[in-house]
Amino acid sequence: MTMLSKLLSIRSIAAPINVFYKQINFPVNVIHNLTNFSTTSVKSVNFFNKLPAEKLWKSVTSVSNAGAKKGRGKGAGRIRIRDLNRGQVIGIGKINMLWPGLSAPVIRGRELLKQQRLPDDPERMEKLIKLRDSMTKFRRLRLSPIERGWSGARMPGRSIGPPDPIGEDEFTGFDTKVLQLRSLLIMKGNLGRTRNYQAMVVTGNGQGLAGFGLGRAKEASAALRKAKNRAGQKLMHFETYNGHTVFHDFYTAFGKTKIFVQKKNEGYGLKCHRAIKEICQAIGIKDLRAKLEGSNNLQHIVKAFFIGLLQQRTHQQLAEEKKLHLVEYKAENAYYPKVVASPSTVRTQDEILKDETLDFVQYVMNDRVILKKKRFPRFYETMPHYKIFLKKFERYRNHEKIRLMLKTEYGAVKSFLNDRYPEEKTESEA
Amino acid sequence: MLPPASGTGKYFAKAAKSIRLIRQGCTNRPFFHISVTQRRRLNSQPVIEQLGSYDPMPNINNEKLVALNLERIKYWLGKGAHVTPPVAEILGLSGFFPIHPRSYMTAWRNRKTEQENIAKQIEAEKAKESTAA
Amino acid sequence: MTIFLSKLVQNNIKVFLVRNSDTQLFTVSYRNISILPNIYDGKEDPAPKFFSRNVQVLLKRLTRPDFAKVFRKRTSSGRDVLPTPIYKFLTNEALEAELAKANKKADRLLQMPPVVKIQQPINEILSEDPALIGYDTAKYLFTDITFGIANEHRLIVERDPDGTLRSCDHDVRKRLNQTYFPLNGRKLREPVMFTDEERFNTLLEQQEYEFVLDRACLQYEPDELTYQKITSITYQHIDMNKNFEKLRSTRHFGPMAFYITWHQNMDNLMLELLQSSAVREAVLLTALRHEIHGDVAEGDNAKILAHEILPTPIQLTKPDRLTEEDIQLDNKCVSCIEKYIVSNSMMKSQQELALQGFREYYQQLIELSRGLKKAHGTA
Repeated sequence: MTMLSKLLSIRSIAAPINVFYKQINFPVNVIHNLTNFSTTSVKSVNFFNKLPAEKLWKSVTSVSNAGAKKGRGKGAGRIRIRDLNRGQVIGIGKINMLWPGLSAPVIRGRELLKQQRLPDDPERMEKLIKLRDSMTKFRRLRLSPIERGWSGARMPGRSIGPPDPIGEDEFTGFDTKVLQLRSLLIMKGNLGRTRNYQAMVVTGNGQGLAGFGLGRAKEASAALRKAKNRAGQKLMHFETYNGHTVFHDFYTAFGKTKIFVQKKNEGYGLKCHRAIKEICQAIGIKDLRAKLEGSNNLQHIVKAFFIGLLQQRTHQQLAEEKKLHLVEYKAENAYYPKVVASPSTVRTQDEILKDETLDFVQYVMNDRVILKKKRFPRFYETMPHYKIFLKKFERYRNHEKIRLMLKTEYGAVKSFLNDRYPEEKTESEA
Repeated sequence: MLPPASGTGKYFAKAAKSIRLIRQGCTNRPFFHISVTQRRRLNSQPVIEQLGSYDPMPNINNEKLVALNLERIKYWLGKGAHVTPPVAEILGLSGFFPIHPRSYMTAWRNRKTEQENIAKQIEAEKAKESTAA
Repeated sequence: MTIFLSKLVQNNIKVFLVRNSDTQLFTVSYRNISILPNIYDGKEDPAPKFFSRNVQVLLKRLTRPDFAKVFRKRTSSGRDVLPTPIYKFLTNEALEAELAKANKKADRLLQMPPVVKIQQPINEILSEDPALIGYDTAKYLFTDITFGIANEHRLIVERDPDGTLRSCDHDVRKRLNQTYFPLNGRKLREPVMFTDEERFNTLLEQQEYEFVLDRACLQYEPDELTYQKITSITYQHIDMNKNFEKLRSTRHFGPMAFYITWHQNMDNLMLELLQSSAVREAVLLTALRHEIHGDVAEGDNAKILAHEILPTPIQLTKPDRLTEEDIQLDNKCVSCIEKYIVSNSMMKSQQELALQGFREYYQQLIELSRGLKKAHGTA
């Protein structure tokens, strides 16, 4: 019973539809051009509208497998996918129409807007083409000078923030610097050549705590993250001398890399390899000089430097080793002897061996000496014209000083003679 | 480099030496070194030794400064070095030598021209007065 | 018209205000100028007294040299980057030798600028030659630049336009010596800080005494009038403001103490010593006065006491423990100063008050140290 009633209700709705169909007027007065009649078939389906945009672009931009193996499709002439929708707005096209409710508001003020044709914009297409062309060029991400690393937008030298917190323990005050990021190619039996990324970073809080880490992953970002977190796990504490430099000069090596580190006074700065500089900043060392000899393999440099720092001896340790007072002389204090460390028992002069190393620097460097290279003359210094220049310049050597002196005394380059002979004026003054 | 003020000039033991003024300084700004050099050598050539200096332009206090290394001057005089008249005049004024006759002559000439100038002025004034009267 | 008038009045008020402030400024600076320089130009020459051994020893002890201040970090080294410190391994003997060397260096750093009488003008005519009149309108200055002669013995003569040959006066000698044998840091022209009163007073107000005195030492000779004027004003400024601590451990404390004692004006320093409970130094000051003037009641007693004090170590800080010898010596000092206050002092009440304060403090200290001794069972 219910079924029947339902059917009935559907019919009652269907009836008006039939009525509507009947009322539609099909165009009757269409003039068919039968005189120019063509029997050739027109294909409305072609290559460009059969395939989706994605596949079309791929056919243009991708390089065949054989081509890619030959190294094609990498350089400057590489075609890139353009987003043709960019710059296009719904409702605005070749013909400049005003569509209320689509490309314009329905009511403007008190006026009801009507659909109408506006004058054509001849520059529209040019603008679009220009926009599309700009997409083809590859643009580097611009970094602020502070964020930049050692070179350009590459990762080495850039900061990647503190290591990720472990549970509730956060690395506050830490900062991580990338020292190395490189891709390694590994041959595999079933996959062939695969690309791996390796990153070396150093993290530290600038107050003695620092560590370095090495991370490998298929992606660069993953490698960096791994390295960073590993560095956070391997923190070491280093004491610094007065919070600005190392305790003493030292020699350290790892593999074929040799580093000669020199302690420096306040205000000297960090004059060393850029990786060592980053490590020093992570630890909080401000003044130091380091000379590198042998291999400059970065990972070896980092390891050698950390080993050297760990092998430092404090002044008290040195004094105990030698069983002698350790005395410091500073030029700014007129070389007043200041005892920085005293051993529990001091040896006498007789107890010192005849061929013992007593020189402090020699002792802490383990008898190693830094190679001091002779200064190479500038390219012009050996040329004959330089001698002539020096000879000619000799008579002007004090001019700048004297001009400065006159300026401080008289406010201009003149002397008491100018006041004595006012009629003798230079052209510029007159 | 230019030769140093002292010590690179050629020295022949038996050749005649001369103590003379050697012009240094630049255009419109004379300055002299008092130097001993071989007598037959140009002033532009390196000297045996510098013995002093003379700045002929009066300074802000209207003074002309002369520096003399009297010990070395005595030494070279003892060696028989010849002294040129300008240097002899300077040494005379300093009281090291007797006053050079040329200094007296210059002084006398200067006084004379000044007197003449004054006389001329007086005459000119008189002439003016007479014409005015 | 009325507006114009009111503007004028306003302007006038402004002018008046400005003037008023000007006069204020003037009076402020006048207060400083009102320090009259007292120079060593009397009949008596201070040099023999200043250089006598007794006075030198007293002055050095009064300087109270603290090596932390004598060898403090100085920024005037002229270096861009401080050189790396040097380290040495030393035995006990070597360390003592080094410390002795440093003591000698400290002596050199604390060497006092000499106090001497003001110089007499040089007026020596060597020859007169009227026949040279008209030779030149300029003076000729002759300097003997012979190697190895000291500046003060250098032969410097001038030939005047009237033909007179004479020895040069001090200012010309100084200028020519500086021209041919320049002293590092000395300027041919006087520095503005000495010629411009305003700037000089600003420096004094900022209590840059050591800088002023160091620069004066460099720029002038000790027997020059300007030097004595500058140092005199500086010493008086220190004395008035009781900034003696600024000069302690410097080479200028000795001449300052000598200056105020010479002019019988050392009561401010005495008061400062008593207030800082340095009674031993107060006795030394009394002895110094007796050495210079010989007018202190029982001055010989003070001199004998000074001989007892000199071998004892310098007290840079107040002692926290006393031995019986210390107590004896200090009691003697107190009685000596009492006599000085009664007979010679110009600030009797203040100094007596300070001495009373010291006595009370000292009594406490004695009880404390004796009690401690008892507690340790050493008494």
